[in-house]
Parts: sequence; C-alpha cells; structure tokens
Amino acid sequence: MKGLNISVLVKPVPDPGCYESIQIDPQTGILVREGLPNILNPADKHALEAALQLVEQHSGRVVMVSMAPPNALETVKEGLAMGADEAWLLSDRAFAGADTLATSRVLAAGIKKLGLCDLVLAGSESADGGTAHVPSQVGEILGISHLTNVTWLNIDTDANVRARMKMENGYIEVEGALPMVIGVSRGMNVPRYTSLPGILAAQDKPVKVLGLNNLGLDPGSVGLAGSPTQPGKLSRPELKRQGERLEGEPAELAKRIVAIMRSSGVLS
Amino acid sequence: MPEFTFSPAQEMLRKAVREFVEKEIEPIAHKIDAENSCPMDVFRKMGALGFAGVIVPKEYGGAGLGLTERAIILEETARHAAGFAMTLMTHQLGIEVLLSYGSEEQKRKYLPELASGKKLGGLAVTEPSGGSDVGGQQSTGELKDGKWVLNGRKCFITNSSEADVCVVTVRTGEDAKGRPSFSAFIIEKGTPGFAPGREEDKFGLRGSGTGDLSLNNCQAGEDAVLGGVGNGTKMALAAISKVGRTGMSAISVGILRGCLEEGVRFAKERVLYGKPIAKLQAIQLEIARNRVDYEAARLLTYYAIGLKDAGGSCDAEIATAKYFSTEAAVRAAKRTMDLMGGYGVVNDYPVGRYLRDALATIPSGGTSHVMQLVIAGQTLA
Amino acid sequence: MEKKQVIWVIIEQVQGKTAAVSLEVLGKACQLAAEAANAQVVAVALGSAIGPLAQQLPKHGADKVFLVDDPRLELYQNDTYSSVLRRLIERERPDVVLIGASASGEELAPTLAAQLGTGLAAHCTNLRLAADGTLTMLVPAFGGQVIGEIFCPVQRPQMATIKPGVFSPVGLAERTGEIVQEDGASLLYDAEIRLRATRLVVEEPPGMPIEQADVIVAGGWGIGSRENWRLLEELAKEFNGAVGCTRPALDQGWTGGEHTMIGSSGKTVRPKLYLGAGISGAAHHMVGIKDSGVIISVNRDKTAPIFQFSDYCVAADFRDVLPELLAQIRRAKH
Ligand SMILES: Cc1cc2nc3c(=O)[nH]c(=O)nc-3n(C[C@H](O)[C@H](O)[C@H](O)COP(=O)(O)OP(=O)(O)OC[C@H]3O[C@@H](n4cnc5c(N)ncnc54)[C@H](O)[C@@H]3O)c2cc1C
Ligand SMILES: Cc1cc2nc3c(=O)[nH]c(=O)nc-3n(C[C@H](O)[C@H](O)[C@H](O)COP(=O)(O)OP(=O)(O)OC[C@H]3O[C@@H](n4cnc5c(N)ncnc54)[C@H](O)[C@@H]3O)c2cc1C
Ligand SMILES: Cc1cc2nc3c(=O)[nH]c(=O)nc-3n(C[C@H](O)[C@H](O)[C@H](O)COP(=O)(O)OP(=O)(O)OC[C@H]3O[C@@H](n4cnc5c(N)ncnc54)[C@H](O)[C@@H]3O)c2cc1C
Repeated sequence: MKGLNISVLVKPVPDPGCYESIQIDPQTGILVREGLPNILNPADKHALEAALQLVEQHSGRVVMVSMAPPNALETVKEGLAMGADEAWLLSDRAFAGADTLATSRVLAAGIKKLGLCDLVLAGSESADGGTAHVPSQVGEILGISHLTNVTWLNIDTDANVRARMKMENGYIEVEGALPMVIGVSRGMNVPRYTSLPGILAAQDKPVKVLGLNNLGLDPGSVGLAGSPTQPGKLSRPELKRQGERLEGEPAELAKRIVAIMRSSGVLS
Repeated sequence: MPEFTFSPAQEMLRKAVREFVEKEIEPIAHKIDAENSCPMDVFRKMGALGFAGVIVPKEYGGAGLGLTERAIILEETARHAAGFAMTLMTHQLGIEVLLSYGSEEQKRKYLPELASGKKLGGLAVTEPSGGSDVGGQQSTGELKDGKWVLNGRKCFITNSSEADVCVVTVRTGEDAKGRPSFSAFIIEKGTPGFAPGREEDKFGLRGSGTGDLSLNNCQAGEDAVLGGVGNGTKMALAAISKVGRTGMSAISVGILRGCLEEGVRFAKERVLYGKPIAKLQAIQLEIARNRVDYEAARLLTYYAIGLKDAGGSCDAEIATAKYFSTEAAVRAAKRTMDLMGGYGVVNDYPVGRYLRDALATIPSGGTSHVMQLVIAGQTLA
Repeated sequence: MEKKQVIWVIIEQVQGKTAAVSLEVLGKACQLAAEAANAQVVAVALGSAIGPLAQQLPKHGADKVFLVDDPRLELYQNDTYSSVLRRLIERERPDVVLIGASASGEELAPTLAAQLGTGLAAHCTNLRLAADGTLTMLVPAFGGQVIGEIFCPVQRPQMATIKPGVFSPVGLAERTGEIVQEDGASLLYDAEIRLRATRLVVEEPPGMPIEQADVIVAGGWGIGSRENWRLLEELAKEFNGAVGCTRPALDQGWTGGEHTMIGSSGKTVRPKLYLGAGISGAAHHMVGIKDSGVIISVNRDKTAPIFQFSDYCVAADFRDVLPELLAQIRRAKH
C-alpha cells in the first residue's frame, strides 16, 4: 500500500452550546437559527484526527468533503487548519432540504469525483440532525463496506482493517479490507488543537466548490426533491416542571428528601 | 475610517484560541486565582501551538504575525483568566525587546525557544525607587575587566521566578548632559548573583507571578548587552508602549467581555417577581453600559494596535486605549457585581475576580495618570 | 376496505437473549396495530440457534415471526444482516419496519434503508399510524431541543428507529403466533460477505443497568472528583439503584462508563425517582430524564437551569446535603 487517500466527511453545524436559543417561528413553523455561530461538527474532528494519525503512520493525503451552503466555507477551512490537505465543498441550491439519503448521494458523488479513495472517515453522528445515518448510507451508495461507531481502528500495510464497533456492553471486533467507510466514535481519540502555523498554512490550501452539474447528479435525486422522508411540523418538547424550592439546613433538607422518597414509593 | 473587520484567518485564530482556553484554562481559572499559581504546563501547550511566539518572525521559529493577532490571543485568554494572560503578555514583552534590539546572534540564541514556549521571558525595569519615574532606577552596571557587574533590586516584575530569559535595565553611566543613562542586559535564569526574591501576594491578576529580582554582583558578558550601551531606557519605554500597554489593553477587553457575558447570563437566569431580571429596565441599562464599554474598548484597542502594526507612531492612541480599557473594565466589573446583588460578592461566580483583575491592570504597563500624561502631552504638543 | 397494514419489528439478540429495546418496540407495534385497526405485527429474528427466543416473541405481541437461523448470523454484522433483511423485505413488502436504535440497530437501519432506497426516521420518540397507512414519526434534533414530524409519503417500507427506554413492552402470556422458519442459504450468499465479525467482547457493567433502575442518582461536572463520586454510588446502593452521569462527568473518568451517560447521545431513562447533583440542566441531558417520576436536583447555583425541570429544587452544595441524606436513609432503613 502506497500511502492512504482518505476523505473525511465534515459537516458545519450550529454550535451545540446555542441550541437552547433555537426558536421555531410561530408563523412559518421554520427553525430560526440565524446568528448561531457555526462550528465543525464535534464528532468530525475525531474523524479528522483519526485521518491525520493514519497519514502520519502510512503517509498519504486527507481531503475533506462537505455538503453545505457556500457561507460554511470558513468553518470547513478549520479542518484545513487542523491539518487536512484539501477541502471540497459541495454546494448547490438544489441540495437544500436533503434527508440523510439525499445527503449521502451528494457526498458519495463528491467522493467518486475525487477519484481514488482508500478510506472514508465520518463522524458517528452530527450534533444537529444527529441521525447517525450518513456513514452507512454513503458506504452503501459507494458500494463499499462500512462500519460506524468505531472506537478503535487499525489498518495494516496490506490494507487490512481491524476495528472495534461500540456495542451496549462492550464491542464487536470486525475485520475487513479497504476501501471502507468508517464512522468514528468520540472514544477513538482526542482531536488536536488548532495551531497557529496550522491556521496560516490553511489559508493557502486548495479549496474546491462543486455544484450539481459538476457532480453529474440528477436534480430529482438530491435535496428535498430527492428525499424519501419529508418533514412535517416542528415543535419544542415541554420539559418544564413546577419546581418546589426546599429550604433549610442540610439536616432539614435531607429530611425533606427522605419524605419525598417515601411518598414516591422508593423507600419504605 | 474603513470598515472594522478581522480577516478570516484572524477569526479562525480567535476560534482556535477560544476553544483551547475553554477546554484548558476556564476549568482551572478559579483555582489559578485561589492558589495564585501559574499553570506552566498550559503555557507550554500554548507555546507548542504557536500562540506564545505569535509575533516572532518565522525565521526565528515564530508565526511572524502582528500585534493584532497577539491581542486576539491575549483577549481570548483574559476572557477567562486575565492573571494567566498576564504571564503570556509579559513573556511577549521580553520577546519584543529582543526582537527589536537584539543582534542577529542574540535573536538566534534566544528567540526560537521563547517562540515555542520552551522558555519563558520577561522584562525588568521597575524598581522600588522608580516605576513611573523610569529615570529613578538605582540598579547599576559597571564594566570591570571586560565583564559587566550588575547590582540592585527590581520589583513588581512579572514572571520573576519562572522566567528563563529576562531583560534587565540598570544604570550604566551618564549622558552628555550628565543625566543617568541606562543599558539593558539579557540575563538567564540561574546566572550567579541573579535571583528572584519575594513574590507579591497580589489581589488581582493572580496566576502571574509578580515579584522582586535581585542583582548581587551578577556578571554579564558584553554579549549580554542588548541594543547598545546607554539605550536601555529608550528601548524599554518603546517596548512597554508597543507591547506592554497594547497587551494590557487587550487583556482588559477580555475582562470586559467576561463582564458582559456573565452579566447577560445571570440576568437571564435569575428570576425575581416571577420573571428573569433581564426584563427589569434598570438591569437592561446596566447591560447596555457594559456593552458600550466593551465595544468602545475593543475599538480603541484594535485601532491603536492596527496603527502600530501598520508601522505608525501612535503612543498617544495606545495610551488612550490602555487608559480607557483598563478603567472601563473596572467600571464594568463593578456594574456586573451590582446587577448580581448578593451573588456578585460570592466567589462561586467569577465576577469578583474580574473586578480584582481589572483593578490590577491599571498600574501594569503604566498607571492611568501616566497614560493621561502621555495623551495630554501629545494633544498639547 | 383498506389494505391490511403490516408492521415489522426487527428483533435484536445478543448471545441468544432478546434485547430489551426490541420488546419495547414490539410493544409499540401492537399499539400501532390497534390504532390502525387492521394491522398485523411481524417480528423478524436473525441469529444462530435462536429458536427458543423466537418462540417467546408472540407473547410480546408478534402475530407472526420470521426466523432466520444460520450460523453465519451468530454475531451482528451489517452486510450479512442487511442482505438477509433486504431480501425478506423485497419479498414480503411490509408497510412499516421498526428497529431499536441500539448500537447495531443504529447501523443496520440506515444500511437497509439505503439498499431499499427508502426513508428512515431516526431515534423516534413517538409514532402514529393512521388508518390509511401513513406513519407519523416524531424525531428529536438539536440535542432534543426540537422535535420534528417525519413522513415517508412515497417509498415503502416506512422505516424508523426507536431509542431504548422510550416505549414499554407488553406481556400477553396467552398469545400464540405463527413461526416461519426461513432458509438462510437463500437469503445470504457467502460471496457478498465482506466483513467478518470476529468476536464480541462483553464488558458487563457492574450493578443495575441504568434503564431498569427505579432510583437513579446522577452526577455532573459539579461533583468535582472521583472521591466525591463514591458518595453517589453509596446513595444509589441504598436503593439498589443506579448511578447516571452527564457527558462532562463521563469525560472526567469518574463514572461507571459510557453506558451510564444519560441524554440525547446516551440513555433515556424513566426511573420512579431521579436525584441529580452538580448538573446544570443542559437540554442534552434533560431530554433523557424527562419521563422520570419525581425529579429532585441539588445545585449550589440558585439560578441553575435544572431547577426549571425539577419537581424539587435544593439550592445547596451537594457536599453538605448528600452525606446527611445518606446518613438519614441508613437510619430510616434500620
Ligand atoms: C501586576 C503588575 C505587573 C507588573 N509587571 C512589571 C514587569 O514585568 N516589569 C516591570 O518593569 N514592571 C512591572 N510592573 C510595574 C509597573 O510598571 C509599575 O507599577 C508602574 O509603572 C507604576 O510604578 P510604581 O508602582 O512604582 O508607582 P509610582 O510610580 O510610585 O506611582 C505612584 C502614584 O503616582 C502617580 N504618578 C507617578 N508619576 C506621576 C506623574 N508624573 N504625574 C502624575 N501622577 C504620577 C502614579 O499614577 C501613582 O498614582 C508591574 C506592576 C503590576 C501591578
Ligand atoms: C428536526 C430534524 C429532524 C431530522 N430527522 C431526519 C430523519 O429522521 N431522517 C432523515 O433521513 N433525515 C432527517 N433530518 C435531516 C438530516 O439531519 C440531514 O439530512 C443531514 O443533512 C444529514 O444527517 P445528519 O445531520 O443526521 O448526519 P449524521 O448521519 O448524524 O452524521 C454523521 C456524519 O456524517 C457526516 N455528514 C453528515 N452530513 C454531512 C454533510 N452535509 N456534509 C459532510 N458530511 C456530513 C459527518 O461526518 C457526520 O459526523 C432531520 C433534520 C432535522 C432538522
Ligand atoms: C453533540 C453533543 C451531544 C451531547 N450529548 C449529551 C448527553 O447525551 N448527555 C449529557 O449529559 N450531555 C451531553 N452533551 C453535553 C451537554 O451539552 C452539556 O455540556 C452537559 O450536559 C453539561 O453537564 P453538567 O451539567 O455535568 O456540567 P455543567 O454544565 O458544567 O454543570 C455543572 C453544575 O454543577 C454545579 N455545581 C458545581 N459544584 C457544585 C457543588 N459543590 N454542589 C452542587 N452543585 C455544584 C454548578 O452550579 C453547575 O450548574 C452533549 C453535547 C454535545 C455537543
């Protein structure tokens, strides 16, 4: 194996620290997320870290692929600052409103367009949509094997892959061979911090923006039109409870809690 | 005046530093203050990421960027830990004098390790007899048998016990008019006769060590002289304005942002009369004032620094920014404590620390009086 | 008359034991079948030597069971499981396919949906089936801050995954159902197996699984140290309960592990009583506990958001209150 060509799927998402301020417009029923700062999806930084480590080990090249509106470019460039070599932004009005399958078609088309790619790494889930579908669906559309929720990964010089996939009470060990799509779980590594030299280098790294036509996709297969799922109404779940404040010294507070435990039947 | 925006790379830098600070510094900010301890491991990490050596040219292992980028780093650090930011800020003050006045040999010798944060720097001017009065320094340097012998005591020196490389000014003679003239020396930690003395128990900007340095027949070779004999004061004052005051100004902007953000958070969360106090008009006015102080300080600070980066002479603009920002930080911290009621004085909240830090920024790099004198001097000239 | 709707539930088994989430989803499927009047519930079980397990499924609501028993299916692995299921689905054309959002279900479902070219709703918190066969799927996004309706108007089957702990299983001791043995050889060809699952390593969590505990004592970042964490463990032990955690506490390494994290990317729990300490109340965490019976929270910040989501709010340092509480509980029990 002569170096690894790795694509990393990265999604710019609104900063999870701000999700509490997301509103639904009462008139239109649409999410109001203007003004929320964008970040690279947290799990994708773990995917990128895995890619950078693999390339440090095997040599090769890391290209990020992202489907996002043009204004997300600066966020994607943060991945270049972390160490990726190149970024492809797949951007077209026609991509709007995509569900995971329509998203995966576009991403897969981008990866194909990139040409030879040994390994596709993705985060295991996004912070906003959070379906955790995309890694497997990209794998299916590309017609290559795929695994997600991977906490440990080893690739040898003969392109054999060994991986651990997280399960409820442990993990399953899986073996396969490249090419493969892998959804990286947070547990796999700790992403590096972005360094100042990294930021400077990022400014000159190649960035490509591709649309529907460049990817040779049928408009009916992408965006809302190409999505088998269709969204309905949005709402905000009501979590609030009528909190009663307990006051007093620790001993008194504990006494009240014991009484509540009794009345709720967990203490006799 | 042109539109005031940062470049995409500067924005990216801000985000990167913010992430680092939120993960590595914010969680220990309270501890740094409570224990008055400087987390040198965090400093080294910032060095490895290129943050400590931001203004050092690439050929000496730095990032080769300007004071604007440096101010972004200091502001973000000071947002959660102004005391620790002070360590970084003074490190860069030490770097600045080497950078601007060092010989090629001196730069090659010291800058790479300072830029990467493997070593910590400092600049020692102030003495018991002379802070504002720079000419009042009493420490001396005498040339004996080709060696300089330094004697005296410095005080209020940031990084006094941790600094590996310190630039020290001492009186080395008189000028043509018979006034004392000073020279600067590069002294390394561990040089015989050079030792840190007592550390001040500061009530603000804790987490940066500030203390005495004593010179006791400390010997320095002629290669330790920085920027030529007799140029010490000029160099130190220039560096203190260019890097020291701009740094203090940026640190104050960080404190101001802390006040604004903590005030907003508290006002939204604290419920009185059945609704968040943010709905009370009196509280809204306090928030508005915090916003105005923050915005004004930010504009003055980055404006002055921008002028300096562009190569202008702008001591008065820098003094204006430093004077306004440090005083505004004090006002904003006090205001934020007021809007928090009793919670403001409890150490579970960081705002009391912000007030103490803000107060301590005022003398550092020159007092508000002195800043006003610089401003007035240039205005009346 | 409307066509009879057919709802499939894919049954997950680990080492011959049915996963709790599969039975929960089966319970929900029964409820949907009742809503849509004329629907049939079908369970599909894949594995090796799992006959006894399949026999039990009618008692949990399956009208019919497809059983694919094949040694190659002993361990879950996405290309074997999805190949078998895709062929069955293409042959039988169910209207709805439901899968538990366990670690393996979360991977199997999107794999299958992509193969079938159909839509999949993720981590549903509720489902409704109309008489005309339209499935309304409610999915959380933005860490649980937003719930969206998802439909799959054209493609079939309509597919959804459901998080563990969201629905309740049913027990119908009398119920019997048809068990259909499928032939693994015609549903799975060796040539299409690209991955090999070599072993399952079980790291059995000590103590009561958090989804089953009546009492959960949960801690967050505010607990501050592994030492302090022991206090939570001792409290939980008094009730044979479980200790839960937030993500920051997990990341600190104080907790029992990943399986004790509660929230949008962790467990959904519904204990009779939840006692939280040193937790601020971020939505990511709160969505996981919203169905708890009584919520008591201890936070030294009077304005902590968690108090808005609690039945009882104790604004105090947990280090003062919890040791005292432990002492009083111990006294109360003797
Ligand atoms: C946290 C901290 C860190 C520091 N770090 C360093 C360091 O790393 N290196 C270093 O060399 N020094 C350092 N200093 C010292 C700092 O530069 C001096 O404190 C400052 O210059 C003031 O000097 P002083 O303390 O001697 O006050 P003084 O000069 O004694 O001033 C006393 C008062 O007189 C006023 N005053 C002085 N001159 C005039 C005037 N001409 N007109 C009107 N009013 C006047 C002052 O404003 C002040 O109110 C640090 C100080 C602090 C607080
Ligand atoms: C309220 C709401 C509910 C939704 N529910 C559903 C649903 O039930 N079913 C459904 O099909 N869609 C749903 N969607 C749409 C879905 O979120 C989008 O299709 C999204 O583009 C991709 O899915 P995800 O964010 O869930 O990705 P995930 O599958 O969670 O992401 C996993 C990884 O895939 C990669 N990835 C994902 N998206 C991109 C991208 N755009 N560019 C590059 N890499 C990417 C990243 O590496 C990421 O870490 C929902 C959206 C909203 C707002
Ligand atoms: C994609 C994504 C998914 C996530 N998924 C989850 C998830 O599934 N589950 C989850 O929990 N989080 C999740 N998070 C993290 C979540 O957003 C919050 O950051 C987290 O829930 C906060 O945890 P905490 O309450 O323990 O910490 P903090 O928010 O730091 O709160 C600590 C609290 O402890 C209090 N405290 C401190 N000392 C004491 C004391 N001595 N006595 C009493 N109180 C004290 C403080 O007042 C404070 O309120 C996720 C985040 C992202 C980005």
